[in-house]
Amino acid sequence: MFQLDLKSRKTIYEQVVDNLKELIIAEVLQPEEKLPSVRELSKTLTVNPNTIQKAYRELEYQGYIYTVTGLGTFVAEPRETAINPIQLEEITARIENDIKELYFLGLNVEEIKKIILPFVEERGENK
Amino acid sequence: MIKVDHVNKNFDRFKALDDLNINVNKGSIYGLVGTNGAGKTTIIKHITGIIRPDSGQITIGGEDVFDNRNVKQKMGFIPDDLFFFSTYNLKEMSKFYKALYPNWNQERYAHMVTQFDLDEGNKLSKFSKGMQKQAAFVLIMSSMPDYLILDEPIDGLDPIVRKLVWKYIVEDVAEREMTVLVSSHNLKELEGICDSIGIIAKGHMIMERDLDELKSDVHKIQVAYKKKPENPYKNLNVLHLETRGTVDLLIVKDKKELVEQTIWKNNPVLFDLLPLSLEEIFIYELGGADHEIQSIIF
Repeated sequence: MFQLDLKSRKTIYEQVVDNLKELIIAEVLQPEEKLPSVRELSKTLTVNPNTIQKAYRELEYQGYIYTVTGLGTFVAEPRETAINPIQLEEITARIENDIKELYFLGLNVEEIKKIILPFVEERGENK
Repeated sequence: MIKVDHVNKNFDRFKALDDLNINVNKGSIYGLVGTNGAGKTTIIKHITGIIRPDSGQITIGGEDVFDNRNVKQKMGFIPDDLFFFSTYNLKEMSKFYKALYPNWNQERYAHMVTQFDLDEGNKLSKFSKGMQKQAAFVLIMSSMPDYLILDEPIDGLDPIVRKLVWKYIVEDVAEREMTVLVSSHNLKELEGICDSIGIIAKGHMIMERDLDELKSDVHKIQVAYKKKPENPYKNLNVLHLETRGTVDLLIVKDKKELVEQTIWKNNPVLFDLLPLSLEEIFIYELGGADHEIQSIIF
């Protein structure tokens, strides 16, 4: 499903969380799709099952997935409410950094807008 | 659960274990690390019931380990120095194990022998060092232990076999909640597999933590400012600070959010925050006092 980078400084736990999030955001994993069980995933990735368990708990806490006892774990519908302020701040900082970089490349305001706005609109149309 | 409770052990006048405590939860993969001579093998020999402690208690699943057949039947141990009967081949050895371990799984044994491509008819003493280790692993895993104790298990194994060994271990932890205690100097490998870590030095536990927690509150930071503010790190728990030109290099023991907030306040032009690797934590905790060693690492 995804690869882990053992040389990375990121912990395996963070990598599992981030990889699954990415797959969910990119809709490779569709809402209501069943995720592999903790056991299955730990075996395919050769990762400590306790780590996978913790990653699933974190994703559930962040609202990306939900668990039904006895049935398994599923991808959640994208949320309408409850935006996590810390996450929002983090992502905003990331965007800010990228825009700074574009200025540094020598682009002007209009050119940057031309790059960014289509992304915003494209995603909005899909929803 | 494996519990080592205030254990002391002296060999003549040498204090090998000094009030040592270890707690390994059921279904956990626990990495035991320490410098050479810290007492790793000694405590493992206590946990497996080979040596009796001078004082303190060692229990597995609530039962005393020493001289307890019931516990030992559920335990698999691969020591650093392997032992096989000199005239035995793998097949004969497997019959011996079968007689000792009530949960012996013949099917798994047959499967593993083919998978590891071991010659059952050849004398074990003729096997290479790495193949002997594989043979020991096949025998132990076929006994379906509830507790698996490994002393330097991956030494001398090639990368393909290593992957296979971990695969079997992870599978048994996932399927049967096997509890694993592993000692190694290969911190990179432990980092990828363990959920808890115990660092020991001079027979005493220095720290015992959940690995992710441990890694999430020590950070390595690089910062540079256009104009350096006065005393920018006074709110932080700085373990180590070094200035190289205009760049400050720090090791900070604090939550990530606090570190980020504090640093961003001073508008740095460069700010990198990296989690420490287990290897760096190990060296920092155990080689901390020696400046010579530190300057090599950080």
